[in-house]
Amino acid sequence: MSTFFNLPNELMLNALCSRFPCRDQQIRSLATLISIRSAPCRNIVLHGLEATGKTSITKVVLDELSKKQTNGHVNNNAADDDDIRYAVIKSAECIGGRHLFEQTIGAVATAIDWPESVGRCENLAQLLVQLSKLVEGRSGSSHNGRQQRLAIVFDGIDRQRDAPPTLLPALARLTEIIPNLTTIFIVTSPRPNFLHLPGVPHIEFPTYTKPELIQIISLTTPSPPVPQGTKETKEVWTRYCSAIWDSLSKHSGRDILSFRAVCLRLWPRFIRPILDGQLNPSPFSRLLVANRSLFQNDSVLVPSLVSNAPHSSSLVPQTQQSNLQGIATQLPHISRLLLVASYLASYNPPRTDSTFFMKAALAKRRKKGGGTALSRKPGIGKSRKIARKLLGPQAFVLERMLAIFYAIGEDADSLPGQGKKSKRKELRNLSGSADVLMAVATLVSLRLLIRMGGPNQDVLDAATKYRIAIGWEVARGVARSVGVEVEDYLAD
Amino acid sequence: MSDHEEENSQASYHDTDNQAAYVYHPSNIADEEPTRPMKRRKLGKQKAALDQLQSSTTSKFEALLNGKESVECIQFRYELYERAWFHTEAQIQTILDEANEDTLKDVTAFVQDSMQERSNQTNRETETIPAGFIVTGPNIASQGFLFEQLSGHLRAEVNGPVVALRSGDDSNLKAILKKVIRDATNQKTSLDGDDEFTTGPGGRKLLNYDLEILHGFVRAQGSQAVVVAFQDSEAFDTSLIAELIALVSSWRDRIPFVLLFGIATSLDLFQERLPRIATRSLHGTRFDVEQTSSLVERIFKKVLAGSHAPLRLSTTLVASLVERQQEHAQSVQAFTAALKYAYMCHFFANALSMLTPVLGASPPYALQSEHYEAVRMLPSFKALVKRLIETQDFSRANGLLEDDTILLDEIQSSLSNSPVLHLLRVAHVVASSSPGPVSSIDLYMATFDGTLSESDFASRILESTKRMTPDELDSFLQQICDAIQNGSLDMDLDGWAEEDSNFLEEVTSLQSQVSNLADQASKSGKPVRSSYAIRNQGLRTTVIAQRVQLSYEESTLTEQDKQFTTLVDKLNARLKEYFSVESPKDIFLHEVWLYDSMLPYRDVFTPAPRARIERALFAPYDYLKCDCCESVEGLSSTHPATAILYQMYLETGSLINIFDLWSAFFEMVSGGEEQKIDERDALVLFYRALADLKSLGMIKQSKKKADHLAKTAWKGL
Repeated sequence: MSTFFNLPNELMLNALCSRFPCRDQQIRSLATLISIRSAPCRNIVLHGLEATGKTSITKVVLDELSKKQTNGHVNNNAADDDDIRYAVIKSAECIGGRHLFEQTIGAVATAIDWPESVGRCENLAQLLVQLSKLVEGRSGSSHNGRQQRLAIVFDGIDRQRDAPPTLLPALARLTEIIPNLTTIFIVTSPRPNFLHLPGVPHIEFPTYTKPELIQIISLTTPSPPVPQGTKETKEVWTRYCSAIWDSLSKHSGRDILSFRAVCLRLWPRFIRPILDGQLNPSPFSRLLVANRSLFQNDSVLVPSLVSNAPHSSSLVPQTQQSNLQGIATQLPHISRLLLVASYLASYNPPRTDSTFFMKAALAKRRKKGGGTALSRKPGIGKSRKIARKLLGPQAFVLERMLAIFYAIGEDADSLPGQGKKSKRKELRNLSGSADVLMAVATLVSLRLLIRMGGPNQDVLDAATKYRIAIGWEVARGVARSVGVEVEDYLAD
Repeated sequence: MSDHEEENSQASYHDTDNQAAYVYHPSNIADEEPTRPMKRRKLGKQKAALDQLQSSTTSKFEALLNGKESVECIQFRYELYERAWFHTEAQIQTILDEANEDTLKDVTAFVQDSMQERSNQTNRETETIPAGFIVTGPNIASQGFLFEQLSGHLRAEVNGPVVALRSGDDSNLKAILKKVIRDATNQKTSLDGDDEFTTGPGGRKLLNYDLEILHGFVRAQGSQAVVVAFQDSEAFDTSLIAELIALVSSWRDRIPFVLLFGIATSLDLFQERLPRIATRSLHGTRFDVEQTSSLVERIFKKVLAGSHAPLRLSTTLVASLVERQQEHAQSVQAFTAALKYAYMCHFFANALSMLTPVLGASPPYALQSEHYEAVRMLPSFKALVKRLIETQDFSRANGLLEDDTILLDEIQSSLSNSPVLHLLRVAHVVASSSPGPVSSIDLYMATFDGTLSESDFASRILESTKRMTPDELDSFLQQICDAIQNGSLDMDLDGWAEEDSNFLEEVTSLQSQVSNLADQASKSGKPVRSSYAIRNQGLRTTVIAQRVQLSYEESTLTEQDKQFTTLVDKLNARLKEYFSVESPKDIFLHEVWLYDSMLPYRDVFTPAPRARIERALFAPYDYLKCDCCESVEGLSSTHPATAILYQMYLETGSLINIFDLWSAFFEMVSGGEEQKIDERDALVLFYRALADLKSLGMIKQSKKKADHLAKTAWKGL
């Protein structure tokens, strides 16, 4: 018989470590904690931030460990008897707890080549029953005394949608009932004792430090290469990446993926002087100086939807401006006015409405009970000092917004080609018209206005509240396009 | 089924007092009710018989001319309408198809590129999902059409399923996934919810929102792309889109997803709403769709300013249509609907519309004597006779008034479409020779107002000719010639060189003279300028002493300059003459092809329900026209109870004490001391009126104070 305790195969580990640099320790610990003859554990928690190699290393280690027996060419006798199977369940792909259970059962059945179809699995209890059935059936089928083990990997289980509250502790306890099972939890940052189980080994995947990052990224070959040769390319690439890290990625987007993305994105522009033949790669500092602006512009860090945007990064403010004006010109006249009215209704407190929007004769302030309306209670005054703009948009009733709409409509520019007089008559004509309300509905479905109170809110209810969803800059642009100056109407 | 049960219950309970609600059965239907299965069989027959009846008589249009119009004429009008609208609609549809064709091509190419890219890097892990952003502009109505076209196009061109999602369909992730899977795999609609299972590969049962199903489908079909299109991305819940993107990006190594987003506002606003993590897993391309305004202009050019247009709209109507486009709904659909309605009204309500010159229609039937009467009532006929009398042509005027055959000749000669054609040709010449871009709608309005020669368009052209050098003038004249010879494709105008040979000859002779001058000038090396241009230049260059400079320049006019100046003057005069066209309103029988009534359009397309309700409650006399009320505004006890209450309601503040309201109401209804009505009866009226107001959404229970109502609607908003 083989020895009772064996460390995992060193050859395999070395190969893995060279594939995943800077993750020696994690690979070794994981392999030890899984393989049957080392120190198999019931539950393992892997934690670390995004893009630290948790998932891929887990997969690869498990893959190697399970391969060993199928290939059978490993000379270690003891390992021949081991039979490790594994199933990976991505929580990101599971909608709801039940889906997770179904996926788990499905994945396990595939992993152990279960011949029959598995039944349904609606809750944790059923999961337990089904799993134990599978595991028992498997050990029953191969009774040649080989040691078996099943590993279930729950990837990103802390982000599971609609998870039942007892999900994690229950999953951790599966191993107490089902023999020869290892559950691996991959999480971002575990709360203390989140499995409600003492003594679960945790393996931390720390974020890469700068030398590690540079070491990893130097394995990537950038395109296009420097014409002087591969050696120069590598040299320039390494120094360039380190410069990028120091200037840009150090502060934002620190993980390897975004760092690599930024490096690859800026690389063609960085070596353009070399490709043009203006500069040589050898004095790197001159290259740096020539591309100074590249390292000062942090707009590349903001991911953008349209891929060709960074080419015109110097023009960013201008395009933004034109886009904002774009909405202003695209919307019909009445919708623009409604948008401005909504902005005012959201940002003005209702008590100031009479001052801003009523005709001068009616705007006299009514004083309650002998003119104490202005005196404030101590304490309130201070909190009122916060600018309304900073408090965010407030909800308003449709009636109020419509009243403001007609009030500012009188001051707005008429359409081109129309006289002042025709416009005033016309806005009055609009009152009570279906067109205005249709415009409001359109704005709501464009999410420029937000209807409060959830999807079940009765739209026809007069008490339905709305809130504006555009900011100050956009509102001002839209208002100017219809000839209204928002500042004139805005309280404080 | 349900009303069957109700019937049974009604039969057993004869005491209708116990019923909470009453179902109204019209007496004739109620008779047939017991023999229901019989009736169904009968109905089929009846319907067929009815159809036959209808197709034979075609009483789709009413008889006009006091009901004396013959059936054939009615039928003919209907056919004319069908033909005219069919023609116009086909034109609009072609334009719409063409307009989106570029976008469709671009998007399809994008999808195919992403497929290519994917197959190239099979081994490398793709980090982002390809996403196309189609910026459609804020006209939501047209998005549906575009996405329909798009999915049809993509289904034909791309190997893989295409799914279009609308925000209204589903509101949670599971439902959306179900829809995606269902549509992609063309399954039948499953009626019930979560418990639905689908058998997956290997006999495994899968939940019906499991993307594993889609994966299996994609593998089985060998699909290279799964296109998921969000028609109105803004209207989706942002978190929903983010979750969906996360899910899709987790599956991207197995299912080749391509996402399309329809964006109505702008890409930046959309990106602001998306969380970063979602943004990061997309890489996109932006597609712009032709804006509605330019599309409307193109359609306008074709179907209203085109030479084959059967019906034209008057300038006032066009102005209000355009204004509505700018103010409210910028949509092609609205424009088309308004146009169709104008067609319908014209052919429905105008007996003379059978004279409308529709392309490809047979000439009208013999006119009835009522038709001649109707023609004689037209303002354009009156104007014609007036003109004849002014030119002392009494016999002809008399004949037109008395003799139907002479009138028929006149009608046939004036329907030959030439006056309109001339208008359109002039408009086209103006449009093609104008120095700047011309809005064809404005040009149409100027032309059909008869004010073209005084309009900006004409004066701008005349001004610009004065400043031109001979070379420029040469090319300008060439432009005019080209316009005349080639016509316009957008407006269906063929070239009319033969018909307008006089003008063309004059232009070409002017052109040859100008080019002669230019040749001479280039030989002598001295530039030729007209006196206008020189004065202009003098004005421009002089800073201090204008007068001196001017006289100096004029004295140096060469012989060639003078020649050129006379040429320019001649051209100007000729063009001015050419541009002065008569207003279509002066053309005899313009009523037949020029539709000019605002009222139907306004009534149908600009409803104001709220204003009407408010007016009905505020001044019920306007609608009731009863004897008891007077037309004066204000409270009156004879008004309906709801109206009385509404008028009181208008005078209250935002919180209404219910008891005060009741006492005021009772006072008004009972007429003070007279006690015309019992208090209990008044209370019933009061309650009913209050319930009416509540159902109109004007009041609701206030939470602030007991026994108070909150006012929720103000008049005139």
